[in-house]
Amino acid sequence: MLKNKWFGTLAEICLIVIVSASAGLAWNWSLLTGAWRGEVTQQAVAVAAEAATTTGDALPMPIGLMQVKELHDAKEAVIVDARNATSFAEGHIAGAIVLPVEEARKNPSFPPEAKVTKDSTIIAYCNGYSCPDSMEVAKLLMRAGYASVYVFEGGFPEWRDAGYAIAKGAK
Amino acid sequence: MNGIRQYLPAAVRITLGMIFIYAAVLKIADPVAFAGSVAAYKILPYFMNYLAAAVLPFLELICGLLLVCGYRVKGAALIIGGMNVVFMIALSSAIVRGLDIDCGCFQQGGDKTSPWTALARDAVFLAMTYVVLKTEGKNGKSSRSAADTPLATPVQEQ
Repeated sequence: MLKNKWFGTLAEICLIVIVSASAGLAWNWSLLTGAWRGEVTQQAVAVAAEAATTTGDALPMPIGLMQVKELHDAKEAVIVDARNATSFAEGHIAGAIVLPVEEARKNPSFPPEAKVTKDSTIIAYCNGYSCPDSMEVAKLLMRAGYASVYVFEGGFPEWRDAGYAIAKGAK
Repeated sequence: MNGIRQYLPAAVRITLGMIFIYAAVLKIADPVAFAGSVAAYKILPYFMNYLAAAVLPFLELICGLLLVCGYRVKGAALIIGGMNVVFMIALSSAIVRGLDIDCGCFQQGGDKTSPWTALARDAVFLAMTYVVLKTEGKNGKSSRSAADTPLATPVQEQ
């Protein structure tokens, strides 16, 4: 009797979870497929556009995982890691240059050996969604005259979880 | 006094249900912001943040509705209790790792609620869940006793 009662409760829980998950997946289907494909969320674009109109400044545009991967593989972009040196050394997008936000505030430029010109395509990233440093560094670079700067909001977590090339160490 | 005792469990159940409905509606209205709040905990991989943000609010909504309606209360309360425990573990881990983040419990992108405040609030919700489950258990027991009576009679006769 007690076993039946627990079985009944368990079935009840399973049913509630299945119904909720189905409703959640159906309601957010386009968001989830977009996130799965690594597309930039509509909100990020909206926030950038809104900020651009309110401040009057040109702001870096968001860029999605697939575009970052294409530009990275074709070596058509300079990837900039806006995290601190320790996080960079623990793991970063292969070929990225470290430019922590504190350093960028003092000197928003690159060493000569990096061969970054004002026309280079630059993609800034940091620790994913919750991290504002990539946007900050990208804005500083744009103010310093770099014309084509993007922010990869998925950042290192999205890149790593996609199984793409990462590197460790200070360089 | 008896009146309070009689209606308090129902009041707790309905209040808990309404709190979860309120929390769910705010999250459903802005799933991307909620995904950001989940990501701020730095626990889940990238896509899982979105998946959690898509499913969790609906689980809260349905469980909240069931509690308010008084239908399938035990299952709904157990899920809410489970969610509270998971939230408390996530909040504790944020405190231990020194993350200065908004808990993301209700309004997304509103005033920041510290993990400590959220933890205390979740403890209250967990206590409310306990009250709901205990009341439900008692009701279940009484109804079960009544149902068991015909079976109990032959035993007494022996």
